[in-house]
Amino acid sequence: MKLFTMRSAYVAVLVAVTFAAREPGPVALAQNAASGDAANGKRIYLADGCFTCHGRAGQGGAMNYPAPPIAKLEMPVESFVAFLRDAPNDMPAYSADVLSDKEAADIHAFLESLPGRKPAKEFPLLNQ
Amino acid sequence: MATDTDAREVPMPKRSNAPDTGRRNFLKGATLAGAAALAPPVAAGTQASDPPKGSTKAAVPGPRLAAAETMPPSKDPVSQTTSGGDFMVDVLKTLDIDFLAMNCASSFRGLHEAVLNHGGNTKPEILTCPHEEIAVHMAQGYAKIEGKPMAMICHGVVGLQHATMAMYNAWCDRVPVIVMGGNIIEANKRGPGAEWVHSAVDPGAIARDFVKWDDQPTSLQHFAESAVRAYKVATTPPMAPVMLSLDAELQENPIADAETLKIPKLSKVIPPQGDSAALAELAKMLVVAENPVIIVDRVARTPAGMARLVELAETLQCAIIDNVGRMNFPSRHPLNQSFRRAILRQADVIVAMEVNELWGSLNAFSDRIVRSSKPNYKQGAKIVTLGSRDLYMKSNYQDFGRYQEVDLTIGGDAEASLPILIEHIKRLIDDGKKSAFAVRGQKLAAAKLAAVEQAKSDATIGWDASPITTARLCAEVYGQIKDEDWSLVGTAIRLTWPHRLWKFDKPYQWNGVSGGAGVGYNLPASLGAALANKRHGRLTLAFGGDGDFLFAPSTLWTAAHHRIPMLYIVHNNRAYHQEYMYLQAMAARHGRGITNTATGITITDPNVDYATVARGFGVHGEGPISDPKELGPALKRAMAVVKTGQPAVIDVITDPR
Repeated sequence: MKLFTMRSAYVAVLVAVTFAAREPGPVALAQNAASGDAANGKRIYLADGCFTCHGRAGQGGAMNYPAPPIAKLEMPVESFVAFLRDAPNDMPAYSADVLSDKEAADIHAFLESLPGRKPAKEFPLLNQ
Repeated sequence: MATDTDAREVPMPKRSNAPDTGRRNFLKGATLAGAAALAPPVAAGTQASDPPKGSTKAAVPGPRLAAAETMPPSKDPVSQTTSGGDFMVDVLKTLDIDFLAMNCASSFRGLHEAVLNHGGNTKPEILTCPHEEIAVHMAQGYAKIEGKPMAMICHGVVGLQHATMAMYNAWCDRVPVIVMGGNIIEANKRGPGAEWVHSAVDPGAIARDFVKWDDQPTSLQHFAESAVRAYKVATTPPMAPVMLSLDAELQENPIADAETLKIPKLSKVIPPQGDSAALAELAKMLVVAENPVIIVDRVARTPAGMARLVELAETLQCAIIDNVGRMNFPSRHPLNQSFRRAILRQADVIVAMEVNELWGSLNAFSDRIVRSSKPNYKQGAKIVTLGSRDLYMKSNYQDFGRYQEVDLTIGGDAEASLPILIEHIKRLIDDGKKSAFAVRGQKLAAAKLAAVEQAKSDATIGWDASPITTARLCAEVYGQIKDEDWSLVGTAIRLTWPHRLWKFDKPYQWNGVSGGAGVGYNLPASLGAALANKRHGRLTLAFGGDGDFLFAPSTLWTAAHHRIPMLYIVHNNRAYHQEYMYLQAMAARHGRGITNTATGITITDPNVDYATVARGFGVHGEGPISDPKELGPALKRAMAVVKTGQPAVIDVITDPR
């Protein structure tokens, strides 16, 4: 078993997202972001198996490399969709034929809606 | 380097000291030179073994046997007063082998009976296993905690084929296991039917690629010498399983040459140290380096290993990256940077100790249509290896990984070499260096603290979710065991939370993983480790995936039957989850969506009720538990059972990873 730092994977993801965001294409996605349907996004997130690597709560996980936490995602929807179209490392890439821009935006809305982290000091079991 | 004068050596008692005074005292004239000089402890948690007892017990023959012996010889004798199996048991006793794991089979009935009635079912004591893979995996887990090998025996053909997957895991994991298989060598002695399909010309052939040595003795003297040699070979670093094929007649029939039999002395091989000059050169490189990083995998063979590595790290105040093949380094030590591998990009000297596949640790690999890789370390960094990896290699199975260029390769056992390396380093450190090292250590300690806080923060995500997050699961478990003398001996695939959150600081608190990534390791190997821990009164616990569990669930019967305490937590994500992700990647790559990937992957419809399965084997079972609030109470109940000396299983419905 090899252990990889979550941080390095997260950095890799951010680098990839930054690069992908420069690509032309998802201009119209800003509208989708505004109208992203979190409930539908959750359905797709679970049905399309995003949860298998990133967890149902967006807490992250691992495949060959760590899959970073994505709960309470703070990423522009355009970058998010571009990222899905040309995912880095071992993450599957989702073409528009498989996952429409609208569906991707719904997933983005769902991830934004997740509660994400809480202060660890509030959890006695994490301070032992 | 072999020696027969080691201080650990204990002279074997002469046979005349044995209580066996009857006519079955066939070894009266045989010389027991004593295979008592056991090899050094091979893994964490080893305690000094009691001196092996060479004497054996055998019952005085009863009236029926005595009468048989006074009658004229028969052409078709119905009884005998000696058996080769008895001698074999004596040999095993001199090797101080505590347990013989087996699934019974006629091809070793002679030895089986001798273990019970000549050996008194002690040293070795039989462990009844419902599958040969369980027997070998138990031996693998046992050796890594107890520091010495266990034996197993099987049908040399069909049983060995069952055993091979576990043997491969043990071989990849560099763990000694004494494997024996029954065979009927002479064709004219085989009965029709099963004895033919259960015999082979060369039984060991199937496993030869993943044992270090094997033999098929054709006489009892040959067996004695090969058994002692097998033990010696298996326990010499780099360690690995060995195999002996035992002819059935050799086990069963009377001894023809008792007066000449001799059990040879075991002389242990001192683990080789790296060349002193090379270690001095490495010391210079480490002392002048600005950011040295040490990667370790299977360094700690004995309880001394972790202490030596800590001394090295603290002397240099350098970063340690632990691949956790053994209990190498305390998890919360400020210099433990295992979850900060990006520091390799700043390293100017990288030292890999007992790392099996270094290339995989130094390169990022992309599993895409066009497979690619790139180094994850700074170009120009000096790379040094220290270990026994280059001293032992086989061709067929490719466990060695891609060839990694290095600047200096030091062949030798890392644990044995550490004292010399540390001594060289200390000679080179002046006050100026000490100050610089202290500053470096403070930075690393701060980074470590931040990494731990990051892990805690990550663990809060989805804290109350159902299915239960693996972070919550591990936090709940640690809450129950942290004040016990615990030993974690298994994890589900990529379940890294214990090493991120828990405080591992004792040599027996971790024993690595399967080695060959052959699924089915976790449950039986954990039980073997639990058997070793039982003697020391430790609380054994393990996490295991549901898919792994289903390969050898009958391990639980062995746990109940032999009353081996172990808390086993099923990380039940109801799928062969790694494959789930791979299949999704394939479907996405082919542009076919990823929704149609569950078939052949998920373990649902019906869901397996592991608690009920456990109860069916006589083991306390709790679950399925999907509400995180129920986890703590269930763990408390299971812990109470384990503290009575019994095994317990908790089935926890978890998120995938």
